[in-house]
Amino acid sequence: MSIIEVSNLKKSYGDLEVLKQITFDVNKNDVVAVIGPSGSGKSTMLRSLVHLEEINSGSICVSGDYLVKDGVYSKSQEIKKITSKMGMVFQHFNLFPHMTVKENLEVAPRMLKKQPAHLIQQQSADLLEKVGLSDRATAYPANLSGGQKQRVAIARALMMNPDILLFDEPTSALDPELTGEVLQVMKHLAEEHMTMIVVTHEMGFAKEVANRAIFMDNGEIIESGHPDNLFTNPQYDRTKAFLNRSLK
Amino acid sequence: MADYINTMIKPMLEGAQITILLFLIAILASIPLGFLLTLAAKSRIKPISWLAQTYIYLMRGTPLLLQLLFICFGLPLLPIIGDYLVLDRFVAACLGFILNYAAYFAEIFRGGLLAIDKGQYEASQVLGLNKWQTMTRIILPQMFRIALPAVSNESVTLVKDTALLYAVAVPELLHFAQTAVNRDFTIVPFFIAGIIYLIITLLLTILFKWLEKRFKFE
Repeated sequence: MSIIEVSNLKKSYGDLEVLKQITFDVNKNDVVAVIGPSGSGKSTMLRSLVHLEEINSGSICVSGDYLVKDGVYSKSQEIKKITSKMGMVFQHFNLFPHMTVKENLEVAPRMLKKQPAHLIQQQSADLLEKVGLSDRATAYPANLSGGQKQRVAIARALMMNPDILLFDEPTSALDPELTGEVLQVMKHLAEEHMTMIVVTHEMGFAKEVANRAIFMDNGEIIESGHPDNLFTNPQYDRTKAFLNRSLK
Repeated sequence: MADYINTMIKPMLEGAQITILLFLIAILASIPLGFLLTLAAKSRIKPISWLAQTYIYLMRGTPLLLQLLFICFGLPLLPIIGDYLVLDRFVAACLGFILNYAAYFAEIFRGGLLAIDKGQYEASQVLGLNKWQTMTRIILPQMFRIALPAVSNESVTLVKDTALLYAVAVPELLHFAQTAVNRDFTIVPFFIAGIIYLIITLLLTILFKWLEKRFKFE
């Protein structure tokens, strides 16, 4: 059963087409790795799913509700409702620097009054434990390592109980020795059947954890399939060339 | 000598009170006004934005002394309405300082807003915060924090600019010092005035250093 349906997505900046006819589905419990060279439109595609980018034409449907249908966006209330089903983890974490780890997790649920305060506190404590940062609840982001920041960002996204988690190059800003702890958390989420779309350069993660890989180049999806097939037996020269460069 | 300083210091301390009073009125009014100007300058309603930007340009582009003289001595010369614009000198001076410093604080806050990464807005949006919640909870606290060192600097400048009251004949600290110098033909009052200014700016610096530490977020 598909939870996200994207069809004929197009976006351009002036003459530059950054997305050309992007079409794909994501099923519930899928872990989709989106790979491809820099500037291929991966991030733009991901960001358009949560309305951080406006597309020019095409449709995005999330669990049966249209965020945008044939290039026409829904009303803002509807957009809010639809995008609230998705959480997003950014390359540069985007934690709120003036709040402690705990406040970062709790600020949005508190302001949106999703639950009574004591339940929000309970949930934030549980999630911090889950990402292994219970002891840093009162720390400010400035005092965390990159890997810790990204784990806080993941916990913060989970506070909103999203159906789908989107990751935009979650380990690209990290020192190589810190990527492991973040990937580990993501792997746990995958094991708990969280639906995830991960734009990534981590081929190992894509191979090991994803059940589908999408290769994008130059604003198009060149091919997609199970990582085992895509990585070992790519059908297109562009995919082969990219994989040869990345897997060296 | 000690006796002389004692008799002279009393009017100077009274003058210092005027200096501090003007400083407090000016800073407490111009910071909120400056913040409103920042918002107006960023407004999506173009006429409001242009108006605010023009105002900021005029106030920062002309000397404060000219503005003070204009308000104290210029406004009453205006035809017809001039008679109603004869203000008490101190009130006029406060007005001049507030209007001028608001423009500077507006620029400082604008700089603070520019320094905030757009990722902060994006994270807020994705978490479902609306524009108002994003502004009040996420953006403005960071803006004030970023602006703090510049606000501190501007405040110290404001303390020293209060000496411009001398030019519009409001008796403040420098006025009493200069009077004593002329009357008694001694340089001592200038030193005392200097020391009083230094004490005020020192206290101010300590206060802002404490604020910076208090809101360090580390």
